[in-house]
Amino acid sequence: MKKLNITNGMLVAMIVNMIYVKAIGVTQGVLARQIGQDMWIATLLGTLQGIGILYITHLAMRRTPDLDMIALGDRLLGKGFGTVVALLIFLFFLAAIGPVMITFVYHLQDYFLPEAPLSLFIVCALLVGALGCFYGLEVIARLALIGCAFIFLLNVLIVIGSFEEFDIRNLLPVLEQGLPRTLAASLHFDVDCALASMMAALVLPMLKSPQKEGGKVGMLGIATSGLMVIIWSILEGAVLSAEVTSRYTISCMKLARNAHIGEFLQRYEMIMIALYSISALFQVMFCLYGVSVCTARILRLKSIRPVILPCCLMLGTLGYWIVKDHFRAIVYLERYWPWVALPIGFGLPLVMLGLRLLMGRRLKGEAAAQR
Amino acid sequence: MNRLAAAAKAVLERKIAPGLADNEAAIDEVMGNCADLLKRSFLLGGDRRVPGLLVCLDGMADLGTVEAILKELLPFAEGSLKRFPDDSEVEALPNFYLSSASTHTCETVGEAIAAVISGNAVLLFEGYGSGLIANARGWKERNVEEPSTENNLRGPRDGFSESIRTNTALVRRRIRDPMLRFAAMTVGTRTQTSINIAYIGDLVKEGLVDEVKRRLGRIRIDSVLESGYIEELIEDAPLSPFNTAQSTERPDKVASALLEGRVAIFVDNTPHVLIVPTFFWQFMQAPDDYYNRYWVGTFYRFVRYIAFMISLLLPSIYVMLVSFHQEMIPTSLALTIASGREIIPFPVLLEALIMEFAFELMREAGLRMPKPIGQAVSIVGSLIIGQAAVQAGLVSPFMVIVVAMTGISSFAIPGYTSSLAIRLLRFPLLIASGLFGLLGFATMAFALLLHVLSIHSFGEPYLAPASPYRPSDQRDMLLRVPIWMMDLRPEFAQDRERMEGSQMPKAPKEGQR
Repeated sequence: MKKLNITNGMLVAMIVNMIYVKAIGVTQGVLARQIGQDMWIATLLGTLQGIGILYITHLAMRRTPDLDMIALGDRLLGKGFGTVVALLIFLFFLAAIGPVMITFVYHLQDYFLPEAPLSLFIVCALLVGALGCFYGLEVIARLALIGCAFIFLLNVLIVIGSFEEFDIRNLLPVLEQGLPRTLAASLHFDVDCALASMMAALVLPMLKSPQKEGGKVGMLGIATSGLMVIIWSILEGAVLSAEVTSRYTISCMKLARNAHIGEFLQRYEMIMIALYSISALFQVMFCLYGVSVCTARILRLKSIRPVILPCCLMLGTLGYWIVKDHFRAIVYLERYWPWVALPIGFGLPLVMLGLRLLMGRRLKGEAAAQR
Repeated sequence: MNRLAAAAKAVLERKIAPGLADNEAAIDEVMGNCADLLKRSFLLGGDRRVPGLLVCLDGMADLGTVEAILKELLPFAEGSLKRFPDDSEVEALPNFYLSSASTHTCETVGEAIAAVISGNAVLLFEGYGSGLIANARGWKERNVEEPSTENNLRGPRDGFSESIRTNTALVRRRIRDPMLRFAAMTVGTRTQTSINIAYIGDLVKEGLVDEVKRRLGRIRIDSVLESGYIEELIEDAPLSPFNTAQSTERPDKVASALLEGRVAIFVDNTPHVLIVPTFFWQFMQAPDDYYNRYWVGTFYRFVRYIAFMISLLLPSIYVMLVSFHQEMIPTSLALTIASGREIIPFPVLLEALIMEFAFELMREAGLRMPKPIGQAVSIVGSLIIGQAAVQAGLVSPFMVIVVAMTGISSFAIPGYTSSLAIRLLRFPLLIASGLFGLLGFATMAFALLLHVLSIHSFGEPYLAPASPYRPSDQRDMLLRVPIWMMDLRPEFAQDRERMEGSQMPKAPKEGQR
């Protein structure tokens, strides 16, 4: 069977799409509530930590370039451990649907279609997600490339539209609440990076040469995402001020509403949201993909297609329950989600790396025997 | 299979008998009492005076050629005085009697009849267990004319006709390369349609010719009346509204495709030649892009991309904005739209659907009617009915502008068949936007995008070189870079080098003038 290949550019684009959507609005709101105008520093620190965790993920997997993290678990401690790894990743993406749906639904419902029923948003998102999963990872990866181009355009538009009201004094004083608190706040950006790390755990083996390029490409992806997001955190701080940003769940929409080009084009947030939608739908798609892959591996199925629909139902129900109540959504986002995302997203690669170092000889022996 | 067909099949498989009467009876049994079947008995010239029979179809064979063949065979002809050796086989006969450029033998009744219905003359002789096929094809065919669906201002004016040989010759005239190959096939059990697969041996994408042959060989159908039949039977995405095989009437387009390492499929009796693999962006490219200066080519290519966006998205965006997101429209514009819609009794979605349908109706009626009436219908429909509908308060002036813009934009897309796909896709987008606003628009647009991303054309991704991104192929996608910069063929071609080194022209220096 022909091995599915994704290019380095596609992986970078996938990482950018995975991080960007939530990080520019929802995460910036959370950061502003915690550390005020230093949210851009927290984003920068989070980016550096994200680069580290992507490298650790690569280190854990590079000796076995054909195996994803579930298969690596199988190889290290037997099928039972592989199932545990699959269950953890399953749990991660299942829980991730909360913030992902919060981002997607609140952007569209609160700002554009307040009277539309919530279920419609969930169904539409999962419909496109299911279609993407049905077509396979290569199509999802190619969509990410287009999403990345749209993200670039979106950033250009927001910079042009916000330039007039940019006031650097809003970003001062720097590190007002001290480095430790800023570092602690950066964990919220780490949560977004955890999405990228778990995605890499599933897709790194599909790179053309994961051994050589995996780490470099992964780190480049996080760095690019950080760069794209920091533009927003600086603009939100300087244009809206940290105080205003902290009052919004989706602070990027407030910035987008403020943006205007000349007198005629006073509001163009819809153009921006149209550009943003690909990335938002990509996130939904990948959560569904992740859950479907793990389910298929747990059930020892060869294809993910039979499980797409049941997984849609599962994600749809959970997403609906979380998004239905704004208060519940915020609590989930700020309290519960980091407790799932960080231990799995950062912990699992570390555990796998540790196990690989301990069991290195066994892996080598098996590889030699296979040769 | 019914009894008649079974009997005919048995006869067709029969070997040609030494008895001339048996063979004539076999032909009669299969072809019946055909009005256009010509049978002419004769005695072969020379000493032996062997009885013979010439069989051909009136209208398919050129009677002048047939008469020339007969003249050479008959005893009184000057050439026939030569002695035909007694022990010679039929294959040797042309050496003694015929001056035809192309002759070959047939062993079965089926082969003989296939040759007759292809326009050849079949010669059967008493005492010989095989027949002789002489090329006598000659039928009335349309002249080489300018293609009606692919006009251009600068460039060659010739277009393909219904004759496959004329069509292959038009390409051969452009590419005088011995590596240009035409592989022949026949498809259609009843129509026996000739198909030629054209490619340049050392350029074509590896394995592509075999794949084309495999797909064509897989076809089991009774008739192929146009290349559209073949297109639907060999494409990669049979359920998709997008064309994954490009069809063209222009020999220069085919020549260009062959030079890029692609394959062309010529089908007899149609001026439309298929090109594979096909990429979405090719439908936005016109031959004029390459014949005019690159600035002009690039500018009009941009215009076409904008036309494509308008054609696909404008009605949906208008309906979405007016129905759900009025706050996004600049105030002065919103007021203008609102004043125009004040007396309209329909919701915007319904108004748009009615207008789009009316436009398609006028287009279809204009196309099907005799030319002079068709033009009149278009003018009456677009001007008078449009104006009347606005005055009667049935549609808003803005909607008329939107639909007209959309229609005109769709005509700006050079690939007519692909513009039809866009026309179709407008409707689901329009309905989704009208029902669910931005959510419906985004969902439908991205579902479409996912679909386009998923389809392939003969192994090549349909959206390449944009996705997957191929940097070296970007020179001829959005932009049309100068010819001296197009030094490489597309990535899938075997030999990528198109020109030697940098050939950017330079004015001679001061002293060299």
